[in-house]
Amino acid sequence: MDNWSVRFNNISIKRGSRIVLDGIDMQLSNADLVLMTGQNGSGKSTLLKIISGLLKPEQAQISLLPHNGQLAEYNWSRMRRILRQKVCYLHQQPYLFQGSVFDNVAYGLKRKGLSREQIKQQVCRMLEEFSLQDLINRDCRELSGGEKQRVAIVRSWITQPDMILLDEPFSNMDKESRRKCYTLISHLCRDNIALILTSHDPLSGELDFTQHIHLYQGKITHKTPDTKSKKFSE
Amino acid sequence: MDDIISASLQALNLLFSGDSQVWRIISVSFLVSLKAILIATLPAIALAFVLAYYTFPGRRLVITLFNTALAIPAVVVGLTLYLLLSRSGPFGGLHLLFTQDAMVLGQIVLCFPLLVAMSHASLQSSDQRAWETAITLGAAPFYAAITVLKEVRFGLMAAVIAAFGRIIAEVGSSMMVGGNILNHTRNIPTAIALETSRGSFVQGIALGMVLLTMALLLNFLLTAIQGKGEVIH
Repeated sequence: MDNWSVRFNNISIKRGSRIVLDGIDMQLSNADLVLMTGQNGSGKSTLLKIISGLLKPEQAQISLLPHNGQLAEYNWSRMRRILRQKVCYLHQQPYLFQGSVFDNVAYGLKRKGLSREQIKQQVCRMLEEFSLQDLINRDCRELSGGEKQRVAIVRSWITQPDMILLDEPFSNMDKESRRKCYTLISHLCRDNIALILTSHDPLSGELDFTQHIHLYQGKITHKTPDTKSKKFSE
Repeated sequence: MDDIISASLQALNLLFSGDSQVWRIISVSFLVSLKAILIATLPAIALAFVLAYYTFPGRRLVITLFNTALAIPAVVVGLTLYLLLSRSGPFGGLHLLFTQDAMVLGQIVLCFPLLVAMSHASLQSSDQRAWETAITLGAAPFYAAITVLKEVRFGLMAAVIAAFGRIIAEVGSSMMVGGNILNHTRNIPTAIALETSRGSFVQGIALGMVLLTMALLLNFLLTAIQGKGEVIH
């Protein structure tokens, strides 16, 4: 996968009179593993939805820097299309479509116009890689919370996005499910995919994060390291 | 009581003997109502989707208007269409009055608000994450919409069945714009009204049995569909 960077400047959004996000600046590159912490209502999920192009900010400048290209800034509707192609967002409780695990994992591939045989091969290979092959024909409504989360991550990964956003992936997960999820996330990082995880806890020592962002009442109150504009030498 | 039993037996005999007049009336009924439901379903579901998933000025007003339209009596729809389609009306030149097409039109007007309201309620209560998940997995908005509709398909089927049940049994609109012409625009409800007014109950009971059987079958179908949509615990 190519090297790339995306920079978000001054992301702001209100809900009614309440400011949900206020002037958020951040930068992401491929293979980044970002931990985003903050209390409930601090704006983590809203920020992820904006980054994934699902929610329109009231204010934001978003710039892309492909590995060999020029810095590109677009209007929101163009940028939204690009973000939706590049970024995959997973809800805190991932939504699995009605049907089997196979149907779910194959969903993104069907949209890419692959043949039935290619889809079957890719889905089987991917499920096998993460020891989920036993679930292939299982109705998604019968899966446990941890299994749902892992199936949803694999479903996102198989579409080969540049970035995956995981909203509180470890909430309500037992130790064993967490361990399996960590393994899956470590795989994603090796695959050059950028990842943002939100969490209430610092998750110290579990994963090797490249950035830590702490949100409080819609503002970044803590950021390590301060990478602002390092890769955007304009 | 004996009269009712005797009339009911005669009615069954009329149905099973394959009386051409009775079966012609039944076929007109189903033909007209199926046409109406087929024409109305797709645009109604599309409109319901737009109302549930997009915001635009006047959206709440449109929802209110459709909910109000649910209560419009069939006879008022019939009267309005009669005035519009009659020779002196603005669409008199189309020569639709007292045709099956006019009956189809009337039934579309009747079932459209019900389809929109029920589909909208179903989509409104659907999980917003389905749309977001489809989009984030790379689906274009049209395919994401199809995905959401598939997720709520049981609610949509219930809407279609309820709408079909309403129009196949309505008498006011069909009577006014169809004219109750034998072998042409006479359907089950208009025939029952006519035969009863004549004091000839046998055909009325036979046709009533068909309607009741159909209502029972539709309800069985609805229950079966809703059963399929149950959550596994």
